[in-house]
Amino acid sequence: MEKQIDNIWIGQKDLTRDDEFMKIADQEFAEEQVSYADMTSNLSGNRRDFLKFLGFGLGAATVAAGCDIPVKRAIPYVVKPDQIVPGVANYYASTFVNGGDYCPILVKTREGRPIKIEGNDLSPLTGGGTSARAQASVLSLYDTNRFTGPKLKDGAGWKDSSWEEIDKIVSVTLESSKNVRIVTNTVLSPTAKKAMNEFTAKYVGAKIVTYDPVSSSALLDANEKNFGARVVPSYKFDLADVIVSFNADFLGTWISPVEYAAAYAKGRKISDISKAKMSRHIQVESHMSLTGSNADNRILVKPTEQGVAIAQLYNDITGGSASTTGLNAKAKKAISKVAAELKAAQGKSLVVSASNNVTEQLMVNAINHTLGNYGNTIDMSAPSFQRQGSDTDMKMLVDEIKSGAVDVIIFNEANPVFDSAYGNILKDALAKVKNKVSFAKVNDETTDLCNVVAPTHHFLESWGDVEAKKGHYSLVQPTIAPLFKTRQAEMSLLIWSASTALDQTKEQPYYEYLKDSWKSTVFASQNEFSSFQAFWDSAVHDGIFNTNSGNAPSYTQTEIGSDITKPGTSELEISYFETVQMANGQYAGNPWLMEMADPVTRTVWGNYLAVPVNFDGVRTMVGFNDLVDGELVELTIGDKKMTLPVVQQFGQMPGTVSLALGYGRTNAGNTGNNVGVNVNDCLTLGANGPAYYNTNVSVSSKVGKEKDFSCVQYHHTIGVKGIDKESGKEINADEAALVFFDYFTGVKGFQGALTDRSVIYTSNVAELKDSVEHLQERRKHAQHLNDQQIYGGFDDMYALGHHWGMHVDLNACIGCGTCTVACMSENNVPVVGKHEVAIHHEMTWLRIDRYYYGDVENPNTIYQPMMCQHCDNAPCENVCPVNASNHSSEGLNQMAYNRCIGTRYCANNCPYKVRRFNWLDYTKADLWPANQPRLQEESVPFMADNLTRMVLNPDVTVRSRGVIEKCSFCVQRIQEGKLTAKTEGRLLSDRDVRTACQTACPTGAITFGDMNNKKGELTAKLESPLNYIALEEINVRSSVTYTMKINNRDKSFDA
Amino acid sequence: MSAVVSPIRKPLITGNKTYHQITEDLISPTEKTPTKEWVIGFVLSVAVLTYGVFCILWTIWVGIGSWNLNRTINWSWDITNFVWWIGIGHAGTLISAILLLFRQKWRTGVNRAAEAMTIFAVMCAGLFPLIHMGRIWLAMFIMPYPNTRGPLWPNFNSPLLWDVFAISTYLTVSLLFWYTGLVPDFATVRDRAKGLRRKIYNTLSFGWTGSAKHWQRWESLSLVLAGLSTPLVLSVHTIVSFDFATSVIPGWHTTIFPPYFVAGAIFSGFAMVLTLMIITRKLLHLEDYITVEHIESMNKVILLTGTIVGVAYLTELFIAWYSGYVYEQFAFFNRALGPYWWSYFGMMFCNVISPQFFWKKSWRRNITLTFFLSILVNIGMWFERFVIIATTLARDYLPSSWSLYSPSWVEIGIYIGTFGLFFTCFLIFVRVAPVVAVAEIKSILKSAGDQYVGDNATHKHHHHDADHGSSHTDHH
Repeated sequence: MEKQIDNIWIGQKDLTRDDEFMKIADQEFAEEQVSYADMTSNLSGNRRDFLKFLGFGLGAATVAAGCDIPVKRAIPYVVKPDQIVPGVANYYASTFVNGGDYCPILVKTREGRPIKIEGNDLSPLTGGGTSARAQASVLSLYDTNRFTGPKLKDGAGWKDSSWEEIDKIVSVTLESSKNVRIVTNTVLSPTAKKAMNEFTAKYVGAKIVTYDPVSSSALLDANEKNFGARVVPSYKFDLADVIVSFNADFLGTWISPVEYAAAYAKGRKISDISKAKMSRHIQVESHMSLTGSNADNRILVKPTEQGVAIAQLYNDITGGSASTTGLNAKAKKAISKVAAELKAAQGKSLVVSASNNVTEQLMVNAINHTLGNYGNTIDMSAPSFQRQGSDTDMKMLVDEIKSGAVDVIIFNEANPVFDSAYGNILKDALAKVKNKVSFAKVNDETTDLCNVVAPTHHFLESWGDVEAKKGHYSLVQPTIAPLFKTRQAEMSLLIWSASTALDQTKEQPYYEYLKDSWKSTVFASQNEFSSFQAFWDSAVHDGIFNTNSGNAPSYTQTEIGSDITKPGTSELEISYFETVQMANGQYAGNPWLMEMADPVTRTVWGNYLAVPVNFDGVRTMVGFNDLVDGELVELTIGDKKMTLPVVQQFGQMPGTVSLALGYGRTNAGNTGNNVGVNVNDCLTLGANGPAYYNTNVSVSSKVGKEKDFSCVQYHHTIGVKGIDKESGKEINADEAALVFFDYFTGVKGFQGALTDRSVIYTSNVAELKDSVEHLQERRKHAQHLNDQQIYGGFDDMYALGHHWGMHVDLNACIGCGTCTVACMSENNVPVVGKHEVAIHHEMTWLRIDRYYYGDVENPNTIYQPMMCQHCDNAPCENVCPVNASNHSSEGLNQMAYNRCIGTRYCANNCPYKVRRFNWLDYTKADLWPANQPRLQEESVPFMADNLTRMVLNPDVTVRSRGVIEKCSFCVQRIQEGKLTAKTEGRLLSDRDVRTACQTACPTGAITFGDMNNKKGELTAKLESPLNYIALEEINVRSSVTYTMKINNRDKSFDA
Repeated sequence: MSAVVSPIRKPLITGNKTYHQITEDLISPTEKTPTKEWVIGFVLSVAVLTYGVFCILWTIWVGIGSWNLNRTINWSWDITNFVWWIGIGHAGTLISAILLLFRQKWRTGVNRAAEAMTIFAVMCAGLFPLIHMGRIWLAMFIMPYPNTRGPLWPNFNSPLLWDVFAISTYLTVSLLFWYTGLVPDFATVRDRAKGLRRKIYNTLSFGWTGSAKHWQRWESLSLVLAGLSTPLVLSVHTIVSFDFATSVIPGWHTTIFPPYFVAGAIFSGFAMVLTLMIITRKLLHLEDYITVEHIESMNKVILLTGTIVGVAYLTELFIAWYSGYVYEQFAFFNRALGPYWWSYFGMMFCNVISPQFFWKKSWRRNITLTFFLSILVNIGMWFERFVIIATTLARDYLPSSWSLYSPSWVEIGIYIGTFGLFFTCFLIFVRVAPVVAVAEIKSILKSAGDQYVGDNATHKHHHHDADHGSSHTDHH
């Protein structure tokens, strides 16, 4: 039998075994081989044709592909500056200063560009903490709205000018003028003051008028009466066991919040639960301020009751007999209790007030004096200069302007047309002043009315000094050459006053002037350094220099009048407050701050009328006038009417509403224009100055719905308690309000939830032992559940090398939001604009969740910074179809942006909802231009402008559209820290790697580190029995640990 | 087919059809000029499809930001529509595969259209996983092939990847099955055609001659494919349900999902078959081939699967309560009574209550009611997916992140556009191929034609006894 294979034949020739066929079949190639030697043969064209096709194809592809690739120029240094190593950051000590806002900082520069603000931890005041405003200040350097050089008014617009021309015009005008006024906010710079003094010396009719956008004039005046110095005392919140604040938002906005927060947190952290002790903090206010939300007890008084509330405490403490008629009974009772607490903590208590009524401030001083707080918790020997404004001066100035007595007015970066109480008056009256000069960097409402703009440098381009507190000096040094043809305001003043001390032939005349000034003042007052150069080098290097401040003036009793705020009788009162992000509009042009969620309301891009909300005793949280979040109302204050959205505010006193200042600017650049409403013209103007409330107010019911209601948190409570209508018993109002649908009466409730969630744990300090036991039990149960499952995990692997983790002390966190801005700055997180936030497209990697708990009417608040938990059994990782989300051997949950195809499965499966998707091309990282969203109708979207893009951190990828991003635990910093340790040949220490949120935090709430480093700071913190892991029972093995939130509420206040 | 016919079976082909009449009735629609109804329907479908294509291009050009999804609800209409369309496809597979294996004769009336529907529905479904990607131009990353990126492989742990395999297999097998069935019918069309049309159909029928060998191979292939697709009926929707079941989100993380999804898919698939067939039989005058018997059979399947789905819903509620786990409990409170309560109630009413009408024989034989309920069922099944996907995501673990969602015009446009795609394909299909499987219908004529079985049978092959006594009055 033939073999099978021989049976196979191809065609007849094969079957017949034709010779010719067999010959060909034996060859490897059936056809004839190409003869290369003979190019004329029939196959000769092949190779050439191939090359031709190749050439054409390549050419065509090149032409087609090369058409539209944008050219990005990078120009190398011709002569490389020796301090700049590409890829290595330089840090310079400097100081963030804007009016009275102050923060000693380190400026991180990369390749000569400032890109990030860090706290300067050499400062005894801030200890390295920062504020959101300081963090965001680097972005205002690259503000596209900045003046590019000196300008002259030309019709409605501006025309370019030169400094020579400006100097000539201004000098000539000044020579021929009698009454010159410099209008400024608080000036913290001694050298700037010196320059101003030279100016006023040269022009005899010149006067400096200082005001603060949110006035603390009464506080200063009261201290002048009691101590002979118009200063703010040094408050030592860390030394106080009982803190009583009358409407002073000292953790958020009042005077020096970074310093106060750092000190305050010291008294709130609990390290040893067996001897748990924390300060008592009582806040007397009507609206929920950031400080109030951190308080143990809030005593609700209407804005006009503040005076009698202070008087009540004054009577109780000092035995005075001020009238307290009009104070509500509940507050009266509570204040008596507070008085008893204060008396028991003599010398260890602190009473502060934000009142702008001198009599009330005198009472507060008297209370503190009687309690023996001066010299203990209040230090007058090193007073603060962070508020210097005088309402009397301001009022006088307005009268002068109205009467036409002022010839020249110079605005030193002040914007009184918007942010003073006299804005509307000034707007018209300024027409009577012929010559108006502004030093503003960016056009504003006031500058727009001026003839001349002599724009000053951004502080990151300037030399300067700051004396925030007596004896506490710090320096401002430039970290980049001026971007535009601007000139420091101090220089302008000195040139206009033809100062002989200013040597204009020097390369940096003001630097020399500053140095000379320090030589004769700070250097002369110290004895640490003998050579000025050594002293100067040290001061510039450290950024700060402290000298002895001298003795405290003693308290002088003065007559306390009866001129306190009269309790109002109107049904509704409105209070105005400053927010962390906006101040009184000074920061409206900064997109980072505009998009930073308000810590309390969690709203962005605008001010929202906070209306009280209460539990109806059945199953609904009822807002004032039945209003719900995002509904539009018509607000009438005096004769001003405005339409604005509301936000239901837990803790807002019934019968009051409140509204943030600083919004509704009309000339604040692309970002700030027409966002929210302005109420600076609705303040109550007393004889002494403005007060931040109004009683002539009414709120309509719903008139519409806000188109873009931008609030990043819709659900506000986690276990608020209310009184059940039927039984009169206390019930969980949250759970009662659970159900949205009512079969018989239709829509109801829906604000509620089941609240026994392993997300937050709270306890009263008195119940701490039980609470900790309960917490431990819950954790044990969760761990038991986790032990039952089959996932083995990779704990062995993570036990080797580094294993990164984080600890967040919720007792230290005050919710100020600094970390959120720091994170945006460090990680190139895009700003998306109001509409995008309104549809929950915000990109924040780090957010601070805010929940209310406890009494529904007057709740306590918990702030929970929430970022990627870097789970070691991460649910986002196993669902990614392309492994774009994966885990490092050091326990980091990593995102490979280039690999991400954007299915968003990971974001769905994240129990903490921290993953952010690039819905549109927020960063111009995409080739298609059509999808870039615009903020406020800018011609180019934010972060698409080359100037703005200078702020980007080159170590962090700018993400394109369609990819997911999230907190990376600042992996670029980890990498840098590891490399530093490696090149220095040592083990990595805690200080090598600190995340942006950690360094920004004013209270030290965040600790990042290596969980395998048994000697590290993190390991120590991880031992606290207060610790818990959010959602521990779902076994995602989070690397972030929180602490139980402890409050020191005295429940007898609620009765 | 077996010649043994149970006496209680009703005829499945009425009108005393001869083989030639069957050919005439079923092939002629592909030969005549289209009716006015068809033209209007086609123009409408293409218009809607065009709008859908525009919306898809808009999504790709502008970004997923043109949808109203957000940081909390990252999937909504896209994946709802995906699961819904996939589910609709299931009836075709079940009819072709499982009913073939069970020798259900009534399948021959509807299998062709149901299989076509499967393919078009899977096409519509397959769109969504593609366009919901943020970067669709990198969609090839999801395919496991050796590449120059490492090589970098997809994540075989991800249910989304399983989806890719499940759905591509499903589409392939369904397509093969459908086409195999078409081959003899294409040959019949060819035999009646002339010129170019004849050539085209000749190619399409692979030179079918109708020899005994052809028929034998065709039967074998049909059986093999039926065997292959039977597990697919169960596996495809099981894998789709894994997208949710393997997650950690309360309301998704549920072991009941695979059977519940499969039952739901068959449920919605049969409803869609009914919707389509009731229209088609009317428009193409196929009442003799798609009879009330067919409709009743399908209604029985709807009743069964609808009830299974209902039991699943109740089980979920019970387990949520029984688990004692606050997040699970809240997830169901939120579904039933939260801001999206209307979609949960819509789902409950359409999917659980409405099929219960079919317990009554006269109601399940009522074509108007069936048509109405079949649409309700599909609305209900859409609500089910919306409830599972969007309302679950809207409120999960952390109250801070809770959010709400309503679709943008683009999302609505894409969904409507898929109807355009589906009906465009279906309308073309009824013009080019016999909408009822001619060969298969003929194979049951002798055992289910009304001249052979039933009360009006003229060619009595079997002698029935007293049980038919009362119906003899119907003779004419």
